[in-house]
Amino acid sequence: MTTPQLYACFLFIATVAYGATSEAQAQEASDDPIAELLARFSEDEELFTQTSGEALYRTTCQACHMEAGEGAAGAGAYPPLAGNPKMNSKHFVAGVILNGYQGMPHFADEMDDAQVAAVTNYVRMELGNAYQDAITADQVAKLRPPDGGDSTDR
Amino acid sequence: MTPFTPTRRQLLTMIGQVAGTAAMYQAMTSLGFAQESGYTQPVALQGPRAQRRVLILGAGVAGMAAAYELRQAGYEVKILEYQNRHGGRCLTIRGGDRFTEMGGHEITCDFESDGYFNPGPWRLPVHHRAVFDYCRRLGVPLQPFIIKNNKAFLHSSKAFGGRPQRVGHVEKDMRGHVAELLAKSLDQRQLDDTVTHEDREKLLEGLKEWGVLNNDLQYRSSDDLGGVRGWDIHPPGGLMPGKRPSEPVDLSPLLQSGLWDQLFNFNSYTFEPPMFEPVGGMDAISDAFAREVEDVIQLGARVTRIAQDEGGVTVTYEDANRGGSVQEETADWCICTIPLSVLAQIEVQCSDRMQKAIAAVPYASAFKVALEFRRRFWEQDDWIMGGISYTDLPLVQIAYPNYGFMTDGPAVLQAAYDTSTAGRNFTYSWSTMTPQERIDAAFALGRQIHPQYDAEFMSGTSWVWHRVDWSLGCYGQWTDDLRDQHYRDLCEIDNRLVLAGEHCSEIPAWLEGSLLSSLDAISRLDQRENAA
Repeated sequence: MTTPQLYACFLFIATVAYGATSEAQAQEASDDPIAELLARFSEDEELFTQTSGEALYRTTCQACHMEAGEGAAGAGAYPPLAGNPKMNSKHFVAGVILNGYQGMPHFADEMDDAQVAAVTNYVRMELGNAYQDAITADQVAKLRPPDGGDSTDR
Repeated sequence: MTPFTPTRRQLLTMIGQVAGTAAMYQAMTSLGFAQESGYTQPVALQGPRAQRRVLILGAGVAGMAAAYELRQAGYEVKILEYQNRHGGRCLTIRGGDRFTEMGGHEITCDFESDGYFNPGPWRLPVHHRAVFDYCRRLGVPLQPFIIKNNKAFLHSSKAFGGRPQRVGHVEKDMRGHVAELLAKSLDQRQLDDTVTHEDREKLLEGLKEWGVLNNDLQYRSSDDLGGVRGWDIHPPGGLMPGKRPSEPVDLSPLLQSGLWDQLFNFNSYTFEPPMFEPVGGMDAISDAFAREVEDVIQLGARVTRIAQDEGGVTVTYEDANRGGSVQEETADWCICTIPLSVLAQIEVQCSDRMQKAIAAVPYASAFKVALEFRRRFWEQDDWIMGGISYTDLPLVQIAYPNYGFMTDGPAVLQAAYDTSTAGRNFTYSWSTMTPQERIDAAFALGRQIHPQYDAEFMSGTSWVWHRVDWSLGCYGQWTDDLRDQHYRDLCEIDNRLVLAGEHCSEIPAWLEGSLLSSLDAISRLDQRENAA
């Protein structure tokens, strides 16, 4: 299907999906590729509003670490998240998400502790990894830089 | 309308916003986005004391400018460039172009018109004097870039039933309402503590004209306002229906719509009209530099190591044109313009402080989508001739071509663009999408502003800076804290090595930053060369 045709098929759901997105609605619309696509945008332009680790990964991390966490390489590289020994430490992973690492931006301002914990657990327990030790939001809070954004629920 | 009674501070704040005071400018300055260019005249170098070779890493604008100036001053220069093209982030995409981005997806561009798409820099503020001076010296023709078009749209998906409003209407209505509030406060003697009697009279007189207020100091529809805000029925010719002035929007819905905030996109010094762009695409600038230095650029060279001692520099690279074999180049000096995001992954012999600075700077997320349509419906139907519309939708802005006005046939819109340093997170999500998904999303969102998308769409293309392997992001995302800690260490000459590029400037992301950084780096290198 061409883009306009595809759109015409899902006009209604797609219109609803942006502006009124909750994750429940996004899932309801999961048969609709355009609605699902638009549900990747946060409801709040400053803060990520997705809550599940997978949803947050799909809306942020996937940009560089790719669909299956495989990373990518060229002149510069994004490290794979699968089978990467640095993933051993949940504190390291959560710290990188909060504070950034080299060219990687930090997300302390855009994600609360529960969200950082959810992404950390997702990338360590999925994407080819099988670590068992989950990190909690309280543990994430202790890793925040002194002025590292709002750590509480919004 | 029931006017609310603002405090003096609220009033003055509102005036400041409408009149465009230093507030916005200061916010921009703290991010390093609105600095005045330090450029006054072409760089004057002494030249080398003896034969000297300078190796430049990166054939972007900073690297090519360095090569151009150093060679004119008598240095021998060579540029190593990873890509099979010159120009770095200063590039233009046209129909027929193909790129493979990180993750393996192919970006296609099948534009049928001569419309083009600038994924990186795309508009030049007039105070970016170095860029303009090089355009003059290298013969790059410029054309006006319409930064503010009063006919363009401001759009909120949550206000006015999703109907876009005109920039000029929002601006004039805010001005009119604020003028009314202030005039009434003055008239009611509420500001006598701060405004003298003589000033009060002058201010009232001015506010009446500025805001187009009636004799009761009200902002209301009138023929006078029609002459300022425009008409629902334009003044006629012959026996056509008589003119009817347009109706202002009330203050409260305007304030609640968020469109006033969108107006501030036009408020900063950086985006002060007029702005300019090279005729035919931004790569006219990089091509102009390349015409001067093409013979010293080696393409397909991936730098893997930068080593140095007192005597000189040795750079190791993989030569894509010789089967990826490992090669070495030696020189007396090295100017490295490789983005820090990539450089942080390369072995560099330099001070700990420079190492830390190289590794400290995150690279900003930014993306663009461009769509081609069968006709210029924005001109023909909506009377938008160039400029930019803003929206609260994740596409953030639609930029119309500033060339080819009223021509028939297809034309290209920059249909979505944002950067993370603007304070929004949408750009991360755009960056997670495949090239086709970005086009689908830009289409699905854009048709809420321009329903003509449905009938007129032809094809699209896009660019995601975090999926570019030679930059790993768009530009150095400095903060004040990071600058305090690392900026000097990054810019200082380290023995035989100096870094240059937009990341070594306080004008990140802009060509002017890369040029000023380059000119400053070669000036200091030249001084060091000639120091006793």
